[in-house]
Amino acid sequence: MKTFDELLLSSAEAHGHLCPGQAVGVRMAMLGCRLIGLEDPAEHRQIKRILVYVELDRCAADAIAHVTGVKLGRRSLKFVDYGIMAATFVNLETGAAFRILSTEEARDLVALYAPGVREKTRQQLEAYRRMPDSVLFRVQRVGVPIRDWDLPGPTRYKATCSRCGQVVRDRREVLVHGEPLCKPCAEGAYFRDAEEVTWPDMNWTPSPYRRPGEKVEEELVRSLPEIGTL
Amino acid sequence: MIKKIKVQDAVGTKLAHDVTEIRPGEFKGPAFRKDHTVCDGDICHLQRLGKDHLYVLELEQDELHENDAALILGDALAGEGVTCERAPKEGKVRLLAERDGLLMVDTASLAAFNMVEEVMCATLHKYTLVKAGEMVAATRAIPLVMKRVAIERAAAIAKQNGAVLSVKPLRKAKVGLIITGNEIYHGRIKDRFAPILAEKVKSLGSEVMGVDFAADDSEMISKAIQSHLSKGCDLLLLSGGMSVDPDDVTRHGIRLAGATEVHYGSAVLPGAMFLVAYIGDLPILGVPACALYHKTTILDLVLPRTLAGEHVTRAELAFLGHGGLCRDCEECIYPHCPFGKGA
Repeated sequence: MKTFDELLLSSAEAHGHLCPGQAVGVRMAMLGCRLIGLEDPAEHRQIKRILVYVELDRCAADAIAHVTGVKLGRRSLKFVDYGIMAATFVNLETGAAFRILSTEEARDLVALYAPGVREKTRQQLEAYRRMPDSVLFRVQRVGVPIRDWDLPGPTRYKATCSRCGQVVRDRREVLVHGEPLCKPCAEGAYFRDAEEVTWPDMNWTPSPYRRPGEKVEEELVRSLPEIGTL
Repeated sequence: MIKKIKVQDAVGTKLAHDVTEIRPGEFKGPAFRKDHTVCDGDICHLQRLGKDHLYVLELEQDELHENDAALILGDALAGEGVTCERAPKEGKVRLLAERDGLLMVDTASLAAFNMVEEVMCATLHKYTLVKAGEMVAATRAIPLVMKRVAIERAAAIAKQNGAVLSVKPLRKAKVGLIITGNEIYHGRIKDRFAPILAEKVKSLGSEVMGVDFAADDSEMISKAIQSHLSKGCDLLLLSGGMSVDPDDVTRHGIRLAGATEVHYGSAVLPGAMFLVAYIGDLPILGVPACALYHKTTILDLVLPRTLAGEHVTRAELAFLGHGGLCRDCEECIYPHCPFGKGA
């Protein structure tokens, strides 16, 4: 694994700014990886062995994802909206799982760990470099029951909402009186007053439509990267 | 697990903890010790101490009794030159200096330790001069029964950077004194500085190798410094010439002698015109005239730290500002006062 300073720098670049949350996130991810026995999970051979649950959608979450290489779209990053500055690191091969919580007292100790630094953000960053893990974090060994359809990989199961017809993947449907419903129909949604609309340039496409028999420009096809190599 | 029983039903059971008795102005201590088997005669005494109920303990695997917890905490807090008493009393252990020296406290680690819920440690101020056997701190777990993991985490925090508490021994320096000033060099007045400085040096266990006098002449001051160094002195104290007058050339003399670092001015009263310089690693302390009048000055704060091996620079002199104001009491009770304790 790279050094803390290297990871902090690249994490800040990926996140968009350097902030104390990045420092805590990088430290948390480094500790998490150590605890579950993965030296460098972002490395190609290890990337399928890790699952991370983040419990807060703030700066630290991006740092954790950056260091560990987990991604929402790969299903290796799970967001659980608890509003808690914590994350759980799971080694899918061994089953080892540790939940790491950022301590509140670390914030109160900033001035003591970086007394010579005046500017507040700079002082927090410096203090979070100097504090030992024992001050920054509390750690719980946890069991994480992972259902087959929550794992990375292809879609395991599809259902169709019996009310709106929407396809629901990976067992996220809700059975009401034995009928499968999508969550918006069954439980209500984060949006409201949904009304289907049309829009002015609704026929736009990045690749022009070719009529059957029309010559396809070879160059355009070649410009796509090879599938599966990224 | 903790079970509560009526004190009348406690005959034959063992006490789970020391029971403290306080008689105002007369006694404070354990009336009964942990594991004492309660007998008939104890009931009234316990009731007089306000105990109508007692605890019976059945510790789980992941739990610790306060005494065991206190020992783990004490061992973790004690660094070099500090030892933890083996016999907890009323759930508390004392940490003692193992040797004479200067108490060092990692205040950041101490604060982090005390932020762990339900543990505590109180210490003397850092940079307090202590004698072997003297209590420098005490620690305890606050509840009667603690979760082992919380104690282990607090202990880990206490151990960072080589433990919260340590006592650094003072080296026995060979000190050269240089008293500057035309008024003394030319015999216009009698020197009173050398005996004061010599006394302070001796009280800290060091030895004065020699006293030189120099006029307000930077060349002469520089030569006096070189002369002391050639005789094997490893710490120099210079007095006088630290002020703002045109005749005050001591600083220049120190630079001429080859000082590689000079830090002039401290955030302490008395002692604003104090100076710390180094020729290589060898420290030179420039003592302003305030030390002639005030019993306690910045010299009493910096000399022990220098003898303990600390490299004092601009930052250390600046950080003394908080608590660096002497109240100039009629009777000086230093070190039992706030002077120099805020750094």
